[in-house]
Amino acid sequence: MGLIDLFKGKFVDPTYPGVHGGGDIVTTTLDAMIKWGRKSSIWPMPFGTACCAIEFMAVSFSHYDIARFGAEVLRFSPRQSDLLFVAGTIVDKQGPVLKTIYDQMPDPKWVISMGVCASSGGFYRSYHTMQGIDEVVPVDVYVPGCPPSPEGLLSALMKIQERIQKGEQAREPQGAHRLGAPGAGAIDRRARREAWARDDAARRAEGKPPRGLLQLRVLPPAANEEHHG
Amino acid sequence: MASATAAVAPGLLAKPAARVLSEALGDRLLSAADFRGDLAITVDRRSWVEAARLLRDHPQLGYELFLDLCGVDYLDKDDRAERYEVALHLYSVSHRHHVRLKTPVPESDPKLATLTGVFKGAGWFEREAWDLYGIVFEGHPNLVRILTHDSFVGHPMRKDYPTAKRHVLKSPKERLLEVPPGSENLLINIGPSHPSMHGAFRVQALLDGETITAAEAEIGYMHRNFEKMAEERTYWQIIPYTDRLNYCSSFMNGHGWALAVEKLLGVPAPPRAEAIRVILSELSRVMDHLVCIGANVVDLGAITPFFVMFRAREDIYDVLDACCGARLTVSYVRIGGLAQDVPESFAALVGRAVASVREVLRQADELLTRNIVFQKRFKGIGVMPKEEALSWGWVGPCLRGSGVGYDIRKDHPYSGYEQYDFDVPVGTLGDCFDRYLVRMEEMRQSLRIVEQALGKMPQGPIITDDRKVALPPKSEVYGGIESLMNHFKLVYDGILPPPGEVYGYTEAANGELGYYVVSDGRKHPWRVKVRPPCYNIYQAYPEMIRGGMLADAIAIIGGLNVIAGELDR
Repeated sequence: MGLIDLFKGKFVDPTYPGVHGGGDIVTTTLDAMIKWGRKSSIWPMPFGTACCAIEFMAVSFSHYDIARFGAEVLRFSPRQSDLLFVAGTIVDKQGPVLKTIYDQMPDPKWVISMGVCASSGGFYRSYHTMQGIDEVVPVDVYVPGCPPSPEGLLSALMKIQERIQKGEQAREPQGAHRLGAPGAGAIDRRARREAWARDDAARRAEGKPPRGLLQLRVLPPAANEEHHG
Repeated sequence: MASATAAVAPGLLAKPAARVLSEALGDRLLSAADFRGDLAITVDRRSWVEAARLLRDHPQLGYELFLDLCGVDYLDKDDRAERYEVALHLYSVSHRHHVRLKTPVPESDPKLATLTGVFKGAGWFEREAWDLYGIVFEGHPNLVRILTHDSFVGHPMRKDYPTAKRHVLKSPKERLLEVPPGSENLLINIGPSHPSMHGAFRVQALLDGETITAAEAEIGYMHRNFEKMAEERTYWQIIPYTDRLNYCSSFMNGHGWALAVEKLLGVPAPPRAEAIRVILSELSRVMDHLVCIGANVVDLGAITPFFVMFRAREDIYDVLDACCGARLTVSYVRIGGLAQDVPESFAALVGRAVASVREVLRQADELLTRNIVFQKRFKGIGVMPKEEALSWGWVGPCLRGSGVGYDIRKDHPYSGYEQYDFDVPVGTLGDCFDRYLVRMEEMRQSLRIVEQALGKMPQGPIITDDRKVALPPKSEVYGGIESLMNHFKLVYDGILPPPGEVYGYTEAANGELGYYVVSDGRKHPWRVKVRPPCYNIYQAYPEMIRGGMLADAIAIIGGLNVIAGELDR
């Protein structure tokens, strides 16, 4: 299977009679050979924190069997892995830990953001939840779902294999601008009420009614009214 | 004394806790109330510790099990004299009753005496109340932030803190412990990214050789603010959030939430819905215990049992998938019933899952229970005596492993558990092996309950017909103006419970999962406090591993089944 992959594309056409006829010899470039080896023997590091980690277990165990994709050697040390599975919510307290883990992985390395919490914070738009791990690490593939179905995660793994073969790799944290940006979440009740009171007082001082008060008034007749008569 | 009897209604004096406290405290007991069967006593904050001690030690009360302590912020509530309130929940195993003790705390001087001298479990809860509400507990040995990070500014659960206001963590805390000067002890950091710490717990241990001389735990690596989010959601919208508390057994959290809100509303679910809830809850309990034991033995170096056990989980996933279309986070429960009826294949799928779990348990017995290597790693390790366990606030399989037979399904049956015949396994020593055996036996008992419930599942509706709680069926909405109006009103206004507060509790996989819900009559709850079972359990962990070997610390943590989503919420 893998060798046929290697023949595809720009290097050698597998249907070309010379290849099969030639017997045991395949010609390719060293670069393509290394990439093919890399994508068929991914060593993932699962950074599982929450619910998604349980679905990740389901993917790695016998029913869904991640070994079919050559990625079953789970390493719990970043030094020995080339794919980071971030499975679960990352909160602000965890952010520096995730960054350290990513930095410790040897290059080249890829990152899968599993589930909406890791991708965007999910439905936790709140004071302690990171709104997507791409604030601190570059992400190659985002997988939607809460949690994603096992098939979705396997599909993401195949996307990573494609990226490895093409030599593509995310380099910069895509959402770094969001880190430290003020959250525009729900309303600060007391501040809002105080702002309204200040505004009302200022308008009253100018002799105007408070904002938002609907005032009915009779419109003056329009200048061109006689045309309608 | 005259004012005390005025504060307590004559009918309430029949309750021992109200009578004893009213006699002892006099006019320092401010009020007592009984709403939906929950006894709540409010005392002056000067007699806070005295009242708690009395509740624990008085022979007629005996509230020895510490459940929960939390703050509540009543900003701009005109009927409240003070802005903050601290609520304490206790339970008496011997007399089988709950109580809620409350005290108002003023905004100008938010201070309260600590309860750490009365209950060991109060330590982390008071730290949390300080972290989230800024209530200072005087005399607390270590009052520092616990859930939020160290660069955090403000107290986020206060009503005037904007929900989404974040702070960047600039310098993570490197050391939880200090090496004493001149000592040759080694400080070792475990977690949060460590395979046996499940991604979200952190422990630092001071080692003398391989013996742990001191340990300290740090949590909050999964604090994603369920409680703050719940204050801005309607009672329905909270159901998906509850699924993600203990995600190993999602359904049980929703079940507990629905029961708590049904208690607040006074609207029961129909019998068929309750029977289905029981079946799915017990299957979820099995799923949870399978992952707990499986992950525990993986930490010890045995991968095979986990592979075997996960196979049975897939069969239970099939049941959940057929019912609601989701494997893990199900959101199947609704206030007053269930989202829809079970499919026709339900009985066959449940039967297959039960058979599969039976086979897995047989294999696990062969692989583990009689395995001498496994026994050597587990027996006599992490012993937790009964009295200590109660003071820490342990519940569930861990408490039963220590020899206390408290099981809410037996002691306060809900959802029709009184109809089913099952046993509650209890350990003798309270070590890791006892906790393992209790979990194994609980799974067998759960299968018994599932089979009984399936055998006599009643027919009928699966959700209440109270149109202020549950949506009318679609056929009626499209066919009649009254149902259309009901549908519109319920979607637009939400469920509007009466003002009041309840504590709903169920026996989740890890033990007593409680929801303290405060309603002010509007569509969003004013306050939701989850009483997470593993919070108390993990709090005891640093003390349990002190004096033991480092390798045993790993054996102990898996058996406690600490789940990050529930621990940090």
